[in-house]
Amino acid sequence: MSYRAPHDLAQVLAARAEGGWRVLGGGTDIFPALAAGGAPGPLLDITRAEGLCGTAETGSGWRIGAATTWSALARAALPPAFDGLRAAARAVGAVQIQNTGTIAGNLCNASPAADGIPALIALGAEVELASLRGSRRLAVEAFVIGPRRTALEGDEIVTAVHVPTPAPGARGVFLKLGARAYQVIAIAMVSAVAWPGPDGRIAGARVAVGACSPVARRLPALEAALAGAAPGEMATRVAREHLAPLAPIDDVRGTAGYRLEAVQEMLARALAQLAEAMR
Amino acid sequence: MAKMHLKLTVNGTEHECLAEPRELLIHVLRERLNLTGPHIGCETSHCGACTVDIDGQSVKACTVLAAQAQGAAITTIEGIAGPGGMHSIQEMFREHHGLQCGFCTPGMITRAWRLLQENPSPTEEEVRFGMAGNLCRCTGYQNIVKAVLAAAAELNAAKEAAQ
Repeated sequence: MSYRAPHDLAQVLAARAEGGWRVLGGGTDIFPALAAGGAPGPLLDITRAEGLCGTAETGSGWRIGAATTWSALARAALPPAFDGLRAAARAVGAVQIQNTGTIAGNLCNASPAADGIPALIALGAEVELASLRGSRRLAVEAFVIGPRRTALEGDEIVTAVHVPTPAPGARGVFLKLGARAYQVIAIAMVSAVAWPGPDGRIAGARVAVGACSPVARRLPALEAALAGAAPGEMATRVAREHLAPLAPIDDVRGTAGYRLEAVQEMLARALAQLAEAMR
Repeated sequence: MAKMHLKLTVNGTEHECLAEPRELLIHVLRERLNLTGPHIGCETSHCGACTVDIDGQSVKACTVLAAQAQGAAITTIEGIAGPGGMHSIQEMFREHHGLQCGFCTPGMITRAWRLLQENPSPTEEEVRFGMAGNLCRCTGYQNIVKAVLAAAAELNAAKEAAQ
């Protein structure tokens, strides 16, 4: 096995173009898998490459570098619409994992239970991909296409996540249900971002649920039902039929039926929390 | 397998060794540098027994290659006690029975050492969140939390006395 950690992004992209390298972020998914045996193959550590760490405001929103750790994200000065993403950052494993795990690693690992993905979908985030051929952007929903499957091409890396400027007054929330509070794989997760119109009623909302389908899903019918509600009414608008896009499974962490019950309650709680934050 | 020449700064001392690129930091610390304080519990990033400090952050040494830690300042449990004896956190773990079998203790103390630098006066909830990545299978959490809170009080009192 070999290991490289270029400081120059061009060298990272050249290595990807040459092929044979597995991209390493914080390693919090790659290394634990080694305990079961096997070698990871040649590793290309992208966390040292310039421009891949940290958050910055751009003209049209916020750029979060691919190798930004969850700890850095939790500490970053971001508007209140990011509170859901910040809460998700503090729900990834526990502190030690948050100190090394990266936002792009969470996206590329593409676990159905990835803690970061519902909050990113609720923020309307896009993934920026780069290769020697150029760069492109995809919505998070178009990037994560299945369990452990993404739209990343073999010569590309994720370089950043872009979040459009949130609407004025937008607030965000994230809730995770696990067997314990931390260091646990989610049974279900919900995240929502909502923003008020000039009359104080909800002008728009994005709601996403994780760990209840092969990839995290938005709930468009619930989003439509929230439009026009007073913030305090949001929690009462949740209905079972809004959960139609979900397809939870029975597994060691919970049954499909339990997940649907739990998600409905978690949505009501999350929206109540969001209403509090909007006061 | 070609070995790499590694330079690691552990507890203020520079160590040089040969290791394969695939070797995790925990294995190099224990097997090449004979620093057996950090323990291997699960090797899957769950238990926290291998917790060390890298450049001011708590990290599980089973989720980092030794090669990645080159150039960083690494602190292990061996580097926590001062020349005058045990660190207050170690004293408080003893006094409050913060350990039973002791297997998780090096990771617990190394994590608590960083936690109390990040947040010198944590609430009980903040201690529980801050220590959530460290598992104690004797389930001695009550006393571990007590020990960390007592150590915080003691360190703060010592700081005040020094001023």
